[in-house]
Amino acid sequence: MQTPLESFIDHKADTGMQCGNYSIDIPDLKDGEQYRFHFDATACVGCHCCEVACNEQNNNPADIKWRRVGEVEGGVFPQFSQIFNSMSCNHCIDPECLIGCPTESYIKIAETGIVIHDDDTCIGCQYCTWNCPYGVPTFHEERNIVTKCHMCYERLDVGQTPACVQACPSGAIEIETVNVQEWLERDIDDQANMPFLPDARITNSTTRYTLPENMPDDLKEVDEHILKPSHSEMPLVFMTVLTQVSLGGFLALFLGDVMSLFGFSQTNWIMALLVMLPAALGLPLSALHLGRPFLALTAMKNIKSSWLSREALALGVFVLLMNIVVVMYFVEAPHVSILLVELLTLVVGIYGIHAQAMIYRIKARPSWDRITTNFKFFGTLHVGILLLGLIAVIFGLKEVAIPLITLSMLGAISQLFFTYEDLRTLKSTTLNEYQLLRTARLYDENFSNVKRFRFISIVIGGLLLPLFTIVLFSTSSFGAASFVMFIALLLSISSEFSDRFLFYSTVVPLGMAGGFFVGKQRD
Amino acid sequence: MIGRIKDFLGFDIKADKYKLSSDPLFGIISDEKKPDKWVFSTCGYCGVGCGLHIGVKDGKAVYTKGNPAHGVNMGTLCPKGLSEHQMINSGDRVTTPLIKKDDELVYASWDDAYTKVAREFKRIASEHGEKAVGVISTGQLLTEEFYTLGKFVQLGLGTNNYDGNTTLCMASAVMGYKQSLGSDGPVGSYEDFQYANTIILIGANISDNHPILKLHIAKNEKKPKIIVIDPRASKTSQMADLFVPIKPRTDLALFNGLAYIVMEQGWEDEGYIKANTNGYKELKKHLQNYPPQEVSNITGIDVKTLYEIARQFVAQESVLSAWTMGVNQSFMGTDTVSAIINLHLLTGQIGREGAGPFSITGQCNAMGTRESGFTSSLPGYRNFGDEKALSDYAKIAKVPEDIVPTERGYKYAEIIDAIDRGEIKALWVVATNPLVSFVNQDKLRKTFAKLDMLVVQDAFMSDTAEIADVVFSAATWGEKEGTYTNSERRCNRANKAVEPLSNTKSDFDIIVDFSKHFDGVNELLFPSWEKPIDAFNEFKELTRGQLCDYTGITYELLEKEGGIQWPCNEERPLGTKRLYSPDIPFRTKDEKANLIIADWFPMNEAVTKEFPLILNTGRTVEQWHTRTKTRSIDILNDLAPEAWVDINPVDAKKLKVKSGDRISLSSPRGRVEDVVVRVSQSVAPSNVFVPFHFNTQLINKLTSESFCPKSGEPNYKQTAIQLHSDEVPDGIEFESEEISGEITHVKSKFEGIALQEKEKIVLNEK
Repeated sequence: MQTPLESFIDHKADTGMQCGNYSIDIPDLKDGEQYRFHFDATACVGCHCCEVACNEQNNNPADIKWRRVGEVEGGVFPQFSQIFNSMSCNHCIDPECLIGCPTESYIKIAETGIVIHDDDTCIGCQYCTWNCPYGVPTFHEERNIVTKCHMCYERLDVGQTPACVQACPSGAIEIETVNVQEWLERDIDDQANMPFLPDARITNSTTRYTLPENMPDDLKEVDEHILKPSHSEMPLVFMTVLTQVSLGGFLALFLGDVMSLFGFSQTNWIMALLVMLPAALGLPLSALHLGRPFLALTAMKNIKSSWLSREALALGVFVLLMNIVVVMYFVEAPHVSILLVELLTLVVGIYGIHAQAMIYRIKARPSWDRITTNFKFFGTLHVGILLLGLIAVIFGLKEVAIPLITLSMLGAISQLFFTYEDLRTLKSTTLNEYQLLRTARLYDENFSNVKRFRFISIVIGGLLLPLFTIVLFSTSSFGAASFVMFIALLLSISSEFSDRFLFYSTVVPLGMAGGFFVGKQRD
Repeated sequence: MIGRIKDFLGFDIKADKYKLSSDPLFGIISDEKKPDKWVFSTCGYCGVGCGLHIGVKDGKAVYTKGNPAHGVNMGTLCPKGLSEHQMINSGDRVTTPLIKKDDELVYASWDDAYTKVAREFKRIASEHGEKAVGVISTGQLLTEEFYTLGKFVQLGLGTNNYDGNTTLCMASAVMGYKQSLGSDGPVGSYEDFQYANTIILIGANISDNHPILKLHIAKNEKKPKIIVIDPRASKTSQMADLFVPIKPRTDLALFNGLAYIVMEQGWEDEGYIKANTNGYKELKKHLQNYPPQEVSNITGIDVKTLYEIARQFVAQESVLSAWTMGVNQSFMGTDTVSAIINLHLLTGQIGREGAGPFSITGQCNAMGTRESGFTSSLPGYRNFGDEKALSDYAKIAKVPEDIVPTERGYKYAEIIDAIDRGEIKALWVVATNPLVSFVNQDKLRKTFAKLDMLVVQDAFMSDTAEIADVVFSAATWGEKEGTYTNSERRCNRANKAVEPLSNTKSDFDIIVDFSKHFDGVNELLFPSWEKPIDAFNEFKELTRGQLCDYTGITYELLEKEGGIQWPCNEERPLGTKRLYSPDIPFRTKDEKANLIIADWFPMNEAVTKEFPLILNTGRTVEQWHTRTKTRSIDILNDLAPEAWVDINPVDAKKLKVKSGDRISLSSPRGRVEDVVVRVSQSVAPSNVFVPFHFNTQLINKLTSESFCPKSGEPNYKQTAIQLHSDEVPDGIEFESEEISGEITHVKSKFEGIALQEKEKIVLNEK
């Protein structure tokens, strides 16, 4: 091409701004510095150039947006304020995506501080999409993995401008360098926050915001009217409930085994097998929610910082140990050795469910990040006890059955209380009140029937029917007792499934404000 | 099957599809879309006229990249431009000529399509006269195509009932320039945004409509004072230092009032006025009707603010007033434009760096059709009725004088009226979509049904094409070549990057081929014309010595310089940044600008008890016009997939609705259902805003047939309407305002409105 435009790569437009330039002059990084975005909300006109330029650069389809533009507005006409936020990844100092990733698929590049994603090792578990308080990582269905903004680091490496920066006609997006220590000690609280954006301290975000002076107090997100349930994560609904049921059953088995030392009936291999089954069924189910199930086992890689890895490993070992217990019962191994293995299994199982609960104790998802999550996860154990109770009833083991049923009823009462408390505190917590109240709205507006079912079924299945079973059992109507108990178990487990479904569906994550038609929620 | 299983298990992460690789021109880009070649061109959407390169891979357009060496956009593009390559491959393209058979459009050959239309045009011409064929064109074609089309319609078909959709858009600016300055032609340059001390944006929402202009404002190192005058706090109002929430359609009163203050305070530039203008005394006398307090009552702007705005014109070295549809789309648009120009003439704020009145154009080549298109004037800004202009034209174009039209035919709305009356029997619509964009849609549909023949020439299956008898399948941007002229008179080169899709042809080829079906026409008008450059060269010769002088322009020079601002000739080989600098006289006979006496009138369809709210229409950045080009580009369409209605919380409360609810809107002419509510303080109480792009919520069912008598431009921006929610189906109750809209000593009935509107008013008064 015989024009003066021969090479754009070195072209610098006469703007005094980074926009429009194909090459960029960024000062060399000194010790303790990293790259970051600067977004000037007073310059942005909400034209969405950056979004389109990003997708064009990265060949992403329209529904995969690494950069999004959101809006908040407020004031009274004509003193009206409309503030845009164009945001991609904030390349945090303590990125939650990286910390939680079970496969260590996030890399914070040491030299530049840019947080990139390693596509090859990603298993598509999407835990990072939960962990990031900004909703940055995006699951790319066509690719079965998560993808995200990488600040066009390959371009930056050779002095080229990132697509969004280059595209902005207002010069509102820039690349800067920042001294990490100064940022954390001095500037972050003043310069990294933006209305409706999560507190920058959660992940120590690096993006610097320039905001208008005198913002009105009554700012609202323009996507406030968009309130959609989150993904129901059905494989996880079954996996978590079933593993918890197993643990409950195993706890009962262990207690029974201990009791047998004092002359109560001996526990047997059928019981051990039956309490093992739910977990053995549920655990592989969880692989179904992965984008790349064939890599499921690599989820155990990041024991040092990911609760997901810890859960995967612990529950894997738990199921393995339960298998061993079954075999030991079957080959009638010495009682003491069975007891010891059972104790070990129980400890591993309890740790596994603890880790499982801790997966959800993340700041980005306020309705999950409450102690009631832990309580409810362990509360589900009552179903497992009920399961063993059913077996005892079928075998006609009165002295085992009645304590077990009683114990399960106590468990059900606790679970009922936890569920109630979980709902009550949604409306009485001040931290993240906005998101929690929206969760409460989802309970009331979208899922009131499921919620009602949850409470009715736990009362009938967890309390009334077991009580009735005890009565029938006392009159030695074993057949009827078994039947009633079976119904109780079905109701109880359905109740837990429904509650877990609500748990996933009603979560309202932290995030940026969205657009009027395109809300912040990715699903 | 195996593939599916593999995909389910997640073996394939499509790494190849999403990898990046290095392009020699643009650096690291998507590998899958890495072009074989980059083609220099210009964006085909709006009038900003951004330079870009089209990436072509395997004969398909895969990328559009802003040209960093182009002064207009310096490497940036708006979201539509960035995704423009997707438009070429849109599923909404018309891929082959179509002919209606049994109420259905079926594939046809070009020859059948031409023959059918030609036969029908000839029959109608012989039975009803040549003027019974009407043509409505566009601002979307290339200048070469406009010249070819205009020449064919006016001299070949012999009808002057020919107008463009530019009449819905820029006509008021054209007529305003003509009556004030003696000729059409925008005055300034984009770089004036960079140099102005004060930038006044009037009825111009550049954030949505011309975002790339923000680049030039951002470059302004003087930290200019930005004044945004708009009844709506649009996105653009956010960049304002002073936002002036003017009452709807009181802009003319405002500019008269500002001129009053300028004179009252002695802020005018007497030397400039004396040397360069006519009509000062008359204007001064006339403006006595617009003292600040009265203007304040009319416009709702307090007196102090009026003085503050007026003072800019004397306190600042350079003031730039830029406007778009808010001013033009008015029943007194032409005079409003002149009132703005008056202010600049009075203060000498014109023809200098950073100073001037500046109309920002809507379409990529609305300017081209103004210069060459044969609708509002003879090519090269020659006036109809000027005998010398006529004979000059005939001589240069080598055509007999007696076939050159002596007067302008019907304007857009008059063509529609003539169809309604049965006077025009056939209509040829080129690259525009009246069935979304024109006013009073329900009536327009009925009017179109009266036609013997409707021919639509378009690249996209528009709403109008759907009811056509014959569709000419046109090539679109990127598939054809020529030039576009942007808002700052910059003639830009658009190159062909890919072959026209399927069985489509460039509009140039369509017209030239079609002309062969009329005896002797092709030989007379287009002798040995093969390429657009043949039209360009003839047009170029027509501009010699005219204001829009193209004689120094060549295609090569346009590529080399990134466009040239006319006039460009031997004296000005690289064009001209701004008109009416001391060395460029005004284009009136005595070379002096006219200070125009312009009267403000209250709206002829003011709010009533039945229709107590005012509807304002406009655009959003993601969509283009009637969406034929943008609706299938997901990344744009997803951001604004349907129309919405902005309503103030006060009105929302009355209607018992909140954001996300759906309501209906009605006016005396129609009703629009199912529009999603956006409760927002961006609109004043009793004012609502709806974007006009959407055929799914066709807001032009409501707008009225009220036109500027001088330009013929519709008054889209204010329509009295009612809102209906589920809970309040009868809508909002009228609250009468204190009367502040009339100046007692001025005529308060506007006389320029169309006949039927007058009748309606009489009816209403009974």
